[in-house]
Amino acid sequence: MSSRSTFIGAVEIGTSKICVLVAEHSGSEVAIIGRGECASRGVIKGAVVDFKAASECAHAALEQAERQAGEKIEEVFLAQTGGHLEGFYNEAAVSVKAADNLIDHSDVRTVCDLALLRDLPFGRTVVHNIRRPFRVDGRMIPGSPVNLVGQRLEVGYWTVHGQEQRLADTINVIKGFNLNVREIVLASLASGYVVTSPEERQHGVLVIDVGGGTTDFALYRDGCAHTTGVLPVGGAHITNDLSIGLRLTQAQAEKLKLRHGRATVQTKDKAQKVWLDGNFAIGDRQFSQQAIEQIVAARIEETLQVVRQRLGAAFRPETCAAGVVLTGGTARLPGIAEVAARVFGVPAHLGEPPVWVAENLREPGHHTALGVLYCGIKAQAEHGQSARRGRGFFSSLRELFTHA
Amino acid sequence: MNPDPLNLPPARTWRDISQPVRPRTMSRGGRWRLALSVLRSVGFGAVLGGLVLGGWSVAAAIRGDSRAMPASAKAVPLRAPELVTDRDGVLDAAWLARTLALPKGVSLLELDLARLRERVLADLQVRTATLTRHFPDRLVVKITERSPIARARVALKGGEQRDVLVARDGAAFFGAGFDPAGLATLPWLSGVSFAPDALGFRAGGDIEPLARLLADAQFSAPHLYRQWHSVSLARLAADRALEVTMKNGTLVMFTAKEGYFLQLARLDYVAERLAKVPGIVAKVDLTLGREVPVMADPVTNTQVKVRGRRAGPDPLLSAFNLSQPPPKREL
Repeated sequence: MSSRSTFIGAVEIGTSKICVLVAEHSGSEVAIIGRGECASRGVIKGAVVDFKAASECAHAALEQAERQAGEKIEEVFLAQTGGHLEGFYNEAAVSVKAADNLIDHSDVRTVCDLALLRDLPFGRTVVHNIRRPFRVDGRMIPGSPVNLVGQRLEVGYWTVHGQEQRLADTINVIKGFNLNVREIVLASLASGYVVTSPEERQHGVLVIDVGGGTTDFALYRDGCAHTTGVLPVGGAHITNDLSIGLRLTQAQAEKLKLRHGRATVQTKDKAQKVWLDGNFAIGDRQFSQQAIEQIVAARIEETLQVVRQRLGAAFRPETCAAGVVLTGGTARLPGIAEVAARVFGVPAHLGEPPVWVAENLREPGHHTALGVLYCGIKAQAEHGQSARRGRGFFSSLRELFTHA
Repeated sequence: MNPDPLNLPPARTWRDISQPVRPRTMSRGGRWRLALSVLRSVGFGAVLGGLVLGGWSVAAAIRGDSRAMPASAKAVPLRAPELVTDRDGVLDAAWLARTLALPKGVSLLELDLARLRERVLADLQVRTATLTRHFPDRLVVKITERSPIARARVALKGGEQRDVLVARDGAAFFGAGFDPAGLATLPWLSGVSFAPDALGFRAGGDIEPLARLLADAQFSAPHLYRQWHSVSLARLAADRALEVTMKNGTLVMFTAKEGYFLQLARLDYVAERLAKVPGIVAKVDLTLGREVPVMADPVTNTQVKVRGRRAGPDPLLSAFNLSQPPPKREL
């Protein structure tokens, strides 16, 4: 790579793990040169509750990534999740000023400013303003409406906002490593960029990222994010349910979930047992496979039902032709796609990253960090460093960016 | 009509959240990164500041504003020149001040070092001179001096005669700073002409054999050297012979064709023999190798006559045959 390379860091501070990716971007090539991972502590449901513990984990992951990359990063793109994140839709319409009804930049600017005009409650701050397509006299315009002729120009924004203190906590964890946060990216959007194609987003797709402490979802329609949301429920709750239901420690319940958990109840025989450890050591116990599946399935179905409920009228099966795409660490539970298909009434499948993603980054737990990295590279490209020329693995990444 | 968007209050975004650097919230790695970043910033600032200051100084110097010039370039009055001599040097700071004759209040930048060096080298007592500026106000003069090996008397332009000191390379100088008692031990030089040159006087012909003889005598036979009154180079060109007249009038002839050490040893032996015969003025010829003819001339007056000896051939008193090695004697 050339000496003009820039180094982009992507950080995901999750409930179960903290993941850091470092990419080298030289304008024409992109390479992931460092990865750091650390089991998360001090983070519950995506929010930092123990600053010291969370900082130690995050900084360990950052150090590991920098060491592997052999370079120092100066700023990072940060994935944001948490139950405090909410969204609302606001739209505005203006009459085109020109006598010949030719839309110009000032019309576009005015309607955008109006659409963004909405007071937030005290302590809330905007994370994302996601613009939906313009409409000219009711006609949807995928691109810019400038120089089109029309009388009425409309636009709408899906605004994601969050609790300022929670956001500041996460930012301060990064600042504790003397790094600047360049951009905050909603975790569900980041995952969505990786596990869906532009065509799927155009046709309508629902991305559900079932993480450790939260479930993030993003509904895409007409090529852009239509509705997003975060449920403060995730894989940790399934573990908790197993722990309470089967009277196990959290660690044992987690082990049982990973080995024998299933999102659907397929075991008919109540007497079918599974061993906790399977090593016949003293203390090893047997549990009913059916009971495990029932507990896990109940929580998964309930979670997906809540997502459906939160989406409300925004989700209609006929506008979600690409179906439901599941990602996140908990999406590895067998049978979860069947449950999602049943709940949403559309086909569902596990999200797969593009073929060019390296094998060690393909598992669902890395999709968010990859998506954040994608956003970072896209931001770099938008800052005039987009002369991309790639080959192999990253030429495909270039293609994705180009068509996103 | 559309409302003016400029009157709309801006929405608060996460970018409005301050991101202050608080070292207490940092991990060790973060503090280390912060320290490095501060060091980098300070280094960058220092380099930038240096460049700006340098540029400003140059600009000020170009404008001719002496007040804005750096201290090292200001025309501060020169301190007294400092003299650094080699280990045998006798010249002092007063001599340097007289020689340089610098005007009062002159600054270092006004000095013409080449001309000053010529002034220093005009005194033939100085063999080499190096003048160095030490900003802002010091001039250091480092010299090496010539050592005299003999004395001579030269005639100046007005007919006046004056004693000079002769160095090994033939340069003749008046000498300053020497101990008069030490100079009195130097033999007189005769049989050589001194030609005036650009800087002073210089002995005509090669006096290197004489320099070697005197050096050998001074260090190998100082008791003999102390008795030497004068040395003549008159026969050096023709016969490669050096004539030494001792204080008792004895004339000793050395040859430049062989080493002086053996000749001095023979002379010492002969001198010891002659010392047992008082009242004679002898002529000792060491130019013939082991055969050392000694011509003795008894004097009527006990006073030693160095000059104006009786003319005519000296009667041969004896010839010492030194084919047989003389008894051992430490010189």
